[in-house]
Amino acid sequence: MIEFVNLCKRFHATVALEDVRFVVQTGTVHALVGENGAGKSTLMKILSGAYQPDEGTITIDGSSVRFHSPADALDAGIGIIHQELNLIPYLTVAENIMLGKESMTRFRLVDRKTSRRRAKTLLDSLGLAIDPHRLVGSLRVGEQQLVEIAKALAANVRILILDEPTSALSDTEIENLFAVMDALRSSGVTLIYISHKLNEVFRMADTITVLRDGRCVGTWPRQETTEQSIISHMVGRELTDLFPKTSVEPGEEVLRVEDLSTHPHQFDERRAIRNISLTLRRGEILGLAGLMGAGRTEVLEAIYGALSAHQREGAVFMRDQTVKINSPGEAISHGIAMVPEDRKVQSLVHQMSVRENTTLSNLKAFSRFGTVDRRREREATSAEIKRLSIKTSGPSANIDSLSGGNQQKVVLARCLLTHPDVLLLDEPTRGIDVGAKSEIYTLMSSIAAGGTGIIMASSELPELLAMCDRILVMHEGRVSREIDASEASQVAVMAAATGQVDQLVS
Amino acid sequence: MTTGEDIKRTVISPASILAFVARFQSYLVLLLIVIIAAILSPERRGENVFLGSSNLLNVVRFASENGIIAIGMTLVIITAGIDLSVGSVLALCAVTAAYMMMTQDANLFVTLITVIAVGLTAGLANGIISTKLRIQPFIVTLAMMSIARGAASLLADGYAIPLAYGDGEGLAPPAFRRLFGGNVMLFDVKVPVQVFYFVGVALIASFVLNRTRFGRHVYAVGGNETASRLSGVNTDRVKIAVYAITGVLVAIAACLHAALVSQGSHIDGQGYELNAIAAVVIGGTNLMGGIGTIGGTFIGALILSVLDNILGLRNVQSEYQAILKGLIIVLAVVLQRKRSA
Repeated sequence: MIEFVNLCKRFHATVALEDVRFVVQTGTVHALVGENGAGKSTLMKILSGAYQPDEGTITIDGSSVRFHSPADALDAGIGIIHQELNLIPYLTVAENIMLGKESMTRFRLVDRKTSRRRAKTLLDSLGLAIDPHRLVGSLRVGEQQLVEIAKALAANVRILILDEPTSALSDTEIENLFAVMDALRSSGVTLIYISHKLNEVFRMADTITVLRDGRCVGTWPRQETTEQSIISHMVGRELTDLFPKTSVEPGEEVLRVEDLSTHPHQFDERRAIRNISLTLRRGEILGLAGLMGAGRTEVLEAIYGALSAHQREGAVFMRDQTVKINSPGEAISHGIAMVPEDRKVQSLVHQMSVRENTTLSNLKAFSRFGTVDRRREREATSAEIKRLSIKTSGPSANIDSLSGGNQQKVVLARCLLTHPDVLLLDEPTRGIDVGAKSEIYTLMSSIAAGGTGIIMASSELPELLAMCDRILVMHEGRVSREIDASEASQVAVMAAATGQVDQLVS
Repeated sequence: MTTGEDIKRTVISPASILAFVARFQSYLVLLLIVIIAAILSPERRGENVFLGSSNLLNVVRFASENGIIAIGMTLVIITAGIDLSVGSVLALCAVTAAYMMMTQDANLFVTLITVIAVGLTAGLANGIISTKLRIQPFIVTLAMMSIARGAASLLADGYAIPLAYGDGEGLAPPAFRRLFGGNVMLFDVKVPVQVFYFVGVALIASFVLNRTRFGRHVYAVGGNETASRLSGVNTDRVKIAVYAITGVLVAIAACLHAALVSQGSHIDGQGYELNAIAAVVIGGTNLMGGIGTIGGTFIGALILSVLDNILGLRNVQSEYQAILKGLIIVLAVVLQRKRSA
């Protein structure tokens, strides 16, 4: 049993955790939910030794513990698996699992045979059919995650923290992960599970604790609560309409794509897409659905010119004019903007301020003779902060001081400042909390109402079904079906996404 | 929402003093080293040799050549690149200058155009090869380091080409010496002309980095290249430009060098890449890219020059000088790590 007693943690003036108290029972899956900035990660960093609490204590099985480093916590049997995996791609699965715990021969050399055997035993005990000799870099993300769990078990953890473990996984991989979690629970391991995906939380967790603004709102057994009630505890108010879709009468065609195909480099992990054709009208929101690796991102990248021209064929028409787009810069000048999939890696310049990040795509508008007018830049940024209600101390705040949802709004503001006719959104709400999601949807509706056509790629079916006018479902690089919003359902989309379109009788 | 950009705290607290020290640490280190140098300086006829105006001007003069190169290096390093070829390209440019004037009877204008073209070409080659063929700048500029040194030796036929000034055939135009090796009277003080190049280049580079779109793009590319590209920044062009600019600055430094030593030699500029990188690093620029200032590099070059100067005045063996310089670089990086933590 883990007990958090009156935990407090402050960072300078900011209170991250305030008087947090709840109990995690041994051998259960305990979900920790809350909006970004609610304190989930801080709490888990304290439990896993990365931070020390300012006040309060943690007791495990009745005795008070205090960890000075993650290694300290690991020694006490507490492991954490972060969103960003900590594996070495150039080492094999077995070498990664046994890293730092290698069996030694008499001569203090690594006993490869024994190490390998122990790794294999661990993988087997988790029911994983991963070859221990393979290089970790050649595994899919889902497999890497399972290797990471095996690695934690090699250190004999009794308490395992999983931080957003499913955010990058496909449905099958999620099933595998859940099976492993089930097995761990039966063997007595305590799992603390941070997630934004409430449907998964309700499937896996025995108990759910909600944090809001650094305080513990409450802890409920899964059977005694509902998704709706958890959401209202998370945002602190009743969220009447998560998807504020306003109906817009679509205008004239703004984008047409004909027979778009790509030929990625041999070592590129991108999927090749084949003969994609689509049209987009002003004010319309077009969804791109499909499983992980179906080619949704690749379609957006190909339109946006993120792939070099010789890896791509097909025609793109903007406002009925054929356009040649060889780089994102050219796409922007033709009126196309994109919010990429991975905010940290593909969108933000972390050393820069909110202002510099906001104006990055259209610095030209704030310069004369190549010289930037910072006053006008600041004014424009302040206006965007107000318009998108971005929570920040101001344009000069560092971008990393913002929560995920607010960072995403900055990226959206960057796109909007280029006055796009076509806006490409790749997983626009990934990793952001419910409240911010709802705000992003509201913004999408108002952007569409302003006459911009939007293409949204997403792996979350509910948001596609609620926000889109039409949905293109992709399967292995091709469009397997186009579904109108009125007739779309989760079942129909999933069937097409898994390639069962022919068998489907609708 | 407040726009708190221009609000400055005036309360003096231990934290604000620490922040002040952290922010201006390179200036404070310079001040500290100047004070130490003044204390350690020998005296001649009752006067502090180090603080004498002619010696201080020497300090700046010797900081200038390295400083001009280091300013180019700063741009390169902010984009998360590196240029190891600057020393060799300097040799090639210096040899080119001497060759043009002494054997080709080229006038000043033609000489300058040629030298700058050589520097620019080397820089463009560094930039284009590393971006278009996707080879790490470390490798490309390492290759250029070897190529330029070899080319310089070929052009000079294995010897130094000495400069003799005059108006006749086979003599260099005296204007070259006036332009790159002379002095300028400023308030009754003979100021070496190098200083003006250094300060001028620093001011222009600082303006470009802080005020122009190109400068913003330099920081953006170094901070997150993928995000910059997806935001429409032509990242290849930005990277090619910083190497090209460095090439031109090296050409200018080469003219200063040739005028100072009155020759162009293929062994000029050895180890200059390390001095330039040292000045950049001491000045607080992060080798990972995205962070750095010209002001810092300016101070960094001065710190190195003061160090060289006082050790020279104290007749410290050059071996110890090298060791001390190495220690100072490590210290600078350690201090910066504290600042960013």
